[in-house]
Amino acid sequence: MEHTKISTIEGLNKYREKILESKKNELPTVFVCGGTPCLAKGSRQVFEAFKKEFGAQGLTGSVELGIKTTGCQGFCNKGPLVAFADKDIVYMGVKPEHVPEIIEKTVKKGEVIESLGYRDPQTKKWATEYSRIPFYGHQKKLVLKDVGQLDPAKIDDYISRGGYSALAKAFSMNPDTIIDNIEQSGLRGRGGGGFPTGRKWRSCKAIKTDVRYVICNGDEGDPGAFMDRSIMEGNPHAIIEGMIIGAYAVGSNQGYAYIRDEYPLAIENMKTAIEDARGLGLLGKNILGSNFDFDIKISRGGGAFVCGESSALMRSIGGNVGEPRAKYIRSVEKGLYDKPTVLNNVETWANVPLIITGGVQGYRKVGTKGSPGTKVFSLAGKVVNTGLVEVPMGITLRELVFDIGGGIPKGKKFKAVQTGGPSGGCIPESLLDLQIDFDSLSDAGSMMGSGGIIVMDEDTCMVDVAKYFITFLVGESCGKCTPCREGLRRMLDILTGITEGRGKQGDIELLEELCDVLKWGALCALGTSAANPVLSTIRYFRDEYEAHIKEKRCPAGVCKELITYRIDEDKCTGCTVCAKKCPQKCISGEKKKPHTIDASKCIKCGVCKTVCPFDAVIVE
Amino acid sequence: MEKIKFVIDGKEVEAIRDQCVLDVARQNGIYIPGLCYNPEVKFSGGSCRLCLVEAHQAGRMSLVTACNYPIREGLEIKTDTSLVKRIRKGIIELLLARVPDSDVIKELAAEAGIDEPRFVKDEGENYHSKCIACGLCIQVCEEVVGVSAIAMLNRGPDKTPGTPYKKPSEVCIGCGACAYACPTDAIPMEDNGDTRKIWGREFKMHLCSVCGKPYIPEAQIDWIVKTTGKDRVFFDKCPDCR
Repeated sequence: MEHTKISTIEGLNKYREKILESKKNELPTVFVCGGTPCLAKGSRQVFEAFKKEFGAQGLTGSVELGIKTTGCQGFCNKGPLVAFADKDIVYMGVKPEHVPEIIEKTVKKGEVIESLGYRDPQTKKWATEYSRIPFYGHQKKLVLKDVGQLDPAKIDDYISRGGYSALAKAFSMNPDTIIDNIEQSGLRGRGGGGFPTGRKWRSCKAIKTDVRYVICNGDEGDPGAFMDRSIMEGNPHAIIEGMIIGAYAVGSNQGYAYIRDEYPLAIENMKTAIEDARGLGLLGKNILGSNFDFDIKISRGGGAFVCGESSALMRSIGGNVGEPRAKYIRSVEKGLYDKPTVLNNVETWANVPLIITGGVQGYRKVGTKGSPGTKVFSLAGKVVNTGLVEVPMGITLRELVFDIGGGIPKGKKFKAVQTGGPSGGCIPESLLDLQIDFDSLSDAGSMMGSGGIIVMDEDTCMVDVAKYFITFLVGESCGKCTPCREGLRRMLDILTGITEGRGKQGDIELLEELCDVLKWGALCALGTSAANPVLSTIRYFRDEYEAHIKEKRCPAGVCKELITYRIDEDKCTGCTVCAKKCPQKCISGEKKKPHTIDASKCIKCGVCKTVCPFDAVIVE
Repeated sequence: MEKIKFVIDGKEVEAIRDQCVLDVARQNGIYIPGLCYNPEVKFSGGSCRLCLVEAHQAGRMSLVTACNYPIREGLEIKTDTSLVKRIRKGIIELLLARVPDSDVIKELAAEAGIDEPRFVKDEGENYHSKCIACGLCIQVCEEVVGVSAIAMLNRGPDKTPGTPYKKPSEVCIGCGACAYACPTDAIPMEDNGDTRKIWGREFKMHLCSVCGKPYIPEAQIDWIVKTTGKDRVFFDKCPDCR
């Protein structure tokens, strides 16, 4: 489409009609998932194969439009995924050799190839419709609705699916009414804190000032979390539209999108989207004839975890070292460059157009009373289906782990689920029926965080888990305040001691004391929440700590200093596989007779246990 | 300047809106410890956390740093509760393990009833001298002197003030404001005859034309002359002989 500036709301509607008209006779667009996991599984080759086949068959006219790399479609461990515009069909594990058949049957005739769908491990039945695949069926895609269904680099795709109509509607509303709407919708900050977004906007607007800023926090730093990245990569215009609406509501003319530099594709897609929006006049002066000016700059973060904290982020945009400041005077009063600033997370901004379009009542239909709407989670760890999921608030952890996640692989037992990133907490099996929302998670000693979910099975040592997260936090603490800088490393010393058999009476209590100092004494939210991994594991798995300290035993068989490997004489057949694979050559025995491990030389690498076909290697 | 009333330890006192709690407490004879606070610095970093007090406002209680908590209407401050004492003691113990040689910290520890920290004391390659990484030296250099010769290097437990790449700084004027401001006396500054050594650089000192005492680095005179336009002749005599 020709890109000339659109200067009125009517112009935008006409522009949309023209796109839809031009798309009418196209073949259905093929979406090959271009998310990182799918790329790793060969989706680029699938994409190339489609392109080649389209060319070979003379379908040239729709090659460029017909095949698009898209954002993440979610079901990462089944990739490469292929979907089709406006069709309820998804294919999994697609290889280049499947492409000709897909084009013949699905693209041209709309027929379904069942064997490329999802096969239920229990019923052995195939399914290709989203609704019949449990991983998708239990989800509620609102924010992610268009992710994977449009080309993020093409603004026309977004507009043709109703994009920027929320902005048009917002311009017909009074800015204060928009704030009322956001407030009544009950939208809470998706970055983790859960602060009511409407209240934040209202407080910012109430300050008398010449300049206000709005910021999008795209500094997703939790290890294993990729919710915000997927939105920025897959549907950047939704974020931009949300930001324009927010800026119009609070009276800001300049926005910043702070994106970590480790997300090059997110930066690229956001950049393209901003330029395209500017090209159409959706950013810049007098947007859609509203007399309202607004533009967005991208600020790239250097990757420090602490820069996801709002005041550190603002310092970083200003060119200073990312360190938090005391927020007694809040950012809505004195934020970026000491001016009133509204900072919201990527997912929060992407929720804004949904509220304006669907209205307050429509938005509140999903989710719980205190936490309306949906939440995007990245599901990882010891769970069958890993990937990006969007669920209504209020869904239980059990549904998330077992219905969507498909339970624990290899028939192992569930042990805990860790939510909220490194400063989140571990939730035990007894609380699996807990409804996921901001308040219930924090009551359980964890937090919503930005939405990382890590599932752990019986082979996970909870002391080791606490040690892992504290190690991360020691490395990422900015070091400004005493409790975080000094307290965390002392906690790590104690945890390391416990896992290495040097734990002593009083260690648990000392850990709890340090947690208390951090919780009350640290300067920023990173520090005050850093105690969560330790406190929650002590709270729910105290017996494991005690086994390490009193009996010098690691019940999960993880902590190397506390375990020994032994061969069960009754089970060992003397096949000699373990002896051959042992890197220390410390397993001996005659062929066809039980073998033994020389514990003095064993480095506890676990190779023998992995290779033994008879489960004869025991960890004690 | 809007004057308001607030309550501290049960006593109603007057303050200027947004003035920090620590200032007003000290003016009213209420002792709150604090290492990284210096009234010359505009916005205290609140990094040492020793001045934590209970702030009660709008039905909520939180622990806040008195050195930068702004006084507003309806505020009540409690400086001596069991929570304040408990957390402060925890912080002092952490500092004592970091800088076991610091007399200032040892004194605070003794006051709080700590004999020995329950953690392994930092020594060897973890030795921090007496530095508690509070950052006051950096703020003073930037805000009061206007030079910014030092900054924080590294992060987390390794965070430490220093010149860029730990090399002698070209912009340092050798004034020693950082060393004077340091609450734990952790910045080595050696005055030896007509030279001063600080941050790995040697400065030539200017001698008083009357008493002959070396009293100010030449580089500092250059800086003052350049930034204020003061006549160089003024520095011929030391403050005692002027």
